[in-house]
Amino acid sequence: MTERALDGIRIIEFTDFTGAYCGRLLADLGAEVIKVEPPGGGHQRHTPPFYSRLAEPDNSVAFWVHNTSKKSVVIDLESVDGQAEAKRLVLSADAVIEDNPVGWMAARGLGYEALRAGKPALVYVSITGFGQTGPHAAWAYTDIVGQAMGGIMTLAGDPADPPNQLYGNQSDVSASIQAAQGAMLALLHAEATGQGQMVDVSAQESLSMSQETAMMYWDFQRHNRVRTGGKSIIGMELPGLGSYEAKDGYIYCMVLAPAGAEFPELIAWMDEHGMAGPLAEEPYATLVANLNMRFLSQLMVNPESAAALPQQMAVIESHLKAFFAALPAVEIYEEGQRRKLLIGLVSTPRDIAENHQLRARDWFCTFDFGDGNTVEFPGAPYRLSETPVEIGRPPFLGEHTEAILAGLG
Amino acid sequence: MADFSWFGAGPIAGQTLRTFGAEVIRVESEAKMDGLRLGQPVPKNEDGTLKSGYNMSGYYNNFNAAKLSFQLNLNTEKGQEVAHRLIEKCDMFLTNFTPRVVKRWNLEWPHLKAINPRLIAAYQPMQGLEGPHRDFLGFGAVLTPVTGFTALSGFPERGPIGVGTNYPDYVINPGHTVVAMLAALRHRNKTGKGQLVELPQVESVVNVLGTAVADYLATGHVQVQDGNRSPIMAPHGAFRCADDPDSLDSEDRWVVIALRNDVLWRAVVDTIGGGAADPKFDTFEGRKAHEAELEALIGTWTRDRKAEDVMEALQSRGVPCGVVQNAQDMLDRDPHIRERGYYRYLDHADTGRSAYDGPAMVLSETPGELDAPAPLFGNDTMDVCERIIGMTSDEIADLMAEGVLM
Repeated sequence: MTERALDGIRIIEFTDFTGAYCGRLLADLGAEVIKVEPPGGGHQRHTPPFYSRLAEPDNSVAFWVHNTSKKSVVIDLESVDGQAEAKRLVLSADAVIEDNPVGWMAARGLGYEALRAGKPALVYVSITGFGQTGPHAAWAYTDIVGQAMGGIMTLAGDPADPPNQLYGNQSDVSASIQAAQGAMLALLHAEATGQGQMVDVSAQESLSMSQETAMMYWDFQRHNRVRTGGKSIIGMELPGLGSYEAKDGYIYCMVLAPAGAEFPELIAWMDEHGMAGPLAEEPYATLVANLNMRFLSQLMVNPESAAALPQQMAVIESHLKAFFAALPAVEIYEEGQRRKLLIGLVSTPRDIAENHQLRARDWFCTFDFGDGNTVEFPGAPYRLSETPVEIGRPPFLGEHTEAILAGLG
Repeated sequence: MADFSWFGAGPIAGQTLRTFGAEVIRVESEAKMDGLRLGQPVPKNEDGTLKSGYNMSGYYNNFNAAKLSFQLNLNTEKGQEVAHRLIEKCDMFLTNFTPRVVKRWNLEWPHLKAINPRLIAAYQPMQGLEGPHRDFLGFGAVLTPVTGFTALSGFPERGPIGVGTNYPDYVINPGHTVVAMLAALRHRNKTGKGQLVELPQVESVVNVLGTAVADYLATGHVQVQDGNRSPIMAPHGAFRCADDPDSLDSEDRWVVIALRNDVLWRAVVDTIGGGAADPKFDTFEGRKAHEAELEALIGTWTRDRKAEDVMEALQSRGVPCGVVQNAQDMLDRDPHIRERGYYRYLDHADTGRSAYDGPAMVLSETPGELDAPAPLFGNDTMDVCERIIGMTSDEIADLMAEGVLM
């Protein structure tokens, strides 16, 4: 039998949207994660997209993504018996992960203070919008509220549009990833000393690091970074920086960044296709040769130094646009990268599913739901050489109720 | 921990471990200078000009607090020997250099494993240590499109413009890395064995966009941009409020509102009144069917109100609502963040008293703390050589003369 990194760790989870990914990460690493679900399942089990060959509440792909490798036990926490049963279950475990409103667990006899008395080594991870303390602790939260209050939406989008949310419940996911780190730190400490503890994670704080440089701009310069859309942080259109339409999709170009080949390599490639126009000759050759990070840094310090450039930049840009529009997106990505140009594919979900690297590395896994009903599924975020990550299929609602509760004696 | 990383995804992982007590030796060199040391923002001089130098960048400093800075030239054979002697003394190793550079520096896993079988060695290649795209270049700015963030985020009319930052660099990739390294540490605690932890950044990031990819694999449906809307909530979006001249360089103010159910919608109707009371908005299906009209109606109500007032009014009725906060809000105006003490202020020799992100996981018994600011470039070379590696002063002097140490 393969050894798993978190063999022997039992975690009881009381989560819906926000904290489920935390439990999933630990479950895929080998912990026994038992999700306590209300009768009928939580909200995420009823969230689209749905897989047509299974029925609600087992067919939510959104639920699957955050609940792989877990076990499911249905307990009604609104009943006194259910609360007692849940408490017995927790006392059989090493850790709790929960994402309920502050005070909700305590009101059901499942708060940290009540449980630690029976199990001093217990690690108790709470994941909420705003954390367990502070004036907004009781505030209502959903993912977009976290993205707004955590400082990342103000940076995303075009100035002419409202600030943009990021796809994929990134506030929930970030909180879960921070919490998984906290859970691991606390579990290691508990195993070393026998001392448990509370891990308090605020989704708002979890996103702060993702403000990139915005926090430091304010601290150093009393300047707020704002959303600049497709334009660079400098706020002017620069060729070779941003999204371009390809023949059949989009690519993203970062040739100005301080990595990889510089602009002349791109022009040489265009020239091979007979599409460099005047760019291989003066005055463009010199200008193009200087389009790099040093140039960019100069612009950031002194934007006025670029005043004479816009017209020439526009000529370069129009030739770039024509070149990219003539080639398929995947070809631009793979050939550009072969030339060491910093170019990415603007991947659609289908592109990801067909991605040559992910396929070659056998990244995807397969769920078997029984009766010949199998589904391909994204793989793990990391690979461990000695204790591999294994992604088990998400549990059907209540699939393990009987076995787990019988095991409590 | 021997931290041979640079830019964002590596150093932040090192900083998290440092915050919770590990000693982290950041290996740096002028030959392969961390671009963030040369980046913005930097503090200003009294005359308004910008300060310059390797130690001024807030971008670097915020990801490297309390580490030791060890200046070592890995392009020399002797530099690589020193690196191996350091790694022999460490429990953990981390790098996010490309597989090509890792190979050139003689830092590949089989070699490190032979030197230190207890080592937990984490590599964060962009695409993976193997495979046809192994040597593709990239960092957060390219990862964002390649993994699908760009195609899925934002308004469809606007096209794929990205998310404004190198988003995956800051929480997703460093966070996943730390989880895996700590899991490996637990295995070592039990067995004494180290291991290779590989975090192919593309795989890590696609994981947090899993619903879109799993949707395609399970149903064949290709999800596309849908702006700020949600398949399960309506309204769900950002609404413009009254401008705020005190919000510097960022005067347009917005709140987000997200309605999880019809009961909460009653609370909104009671707050804003007017056309919202139309019964066609009473159910989720009704609100979804008339979403543009609904958004216009809410936007009209919010437009001449202060964002903070809208937030307070709706939150007091239990409605999920929040100001789209900028960094000024986060650092100076949000009373909640201040009371929780999330940001830390540390005295740095060159930048003065400066803000740092604290840990986002608050542990009650073993709390994380940043006990020092970011290191000055090469500040700890002597200390690392003498105390950690155990070199003699003659040896250090020779290596300095040869340009291996600096």
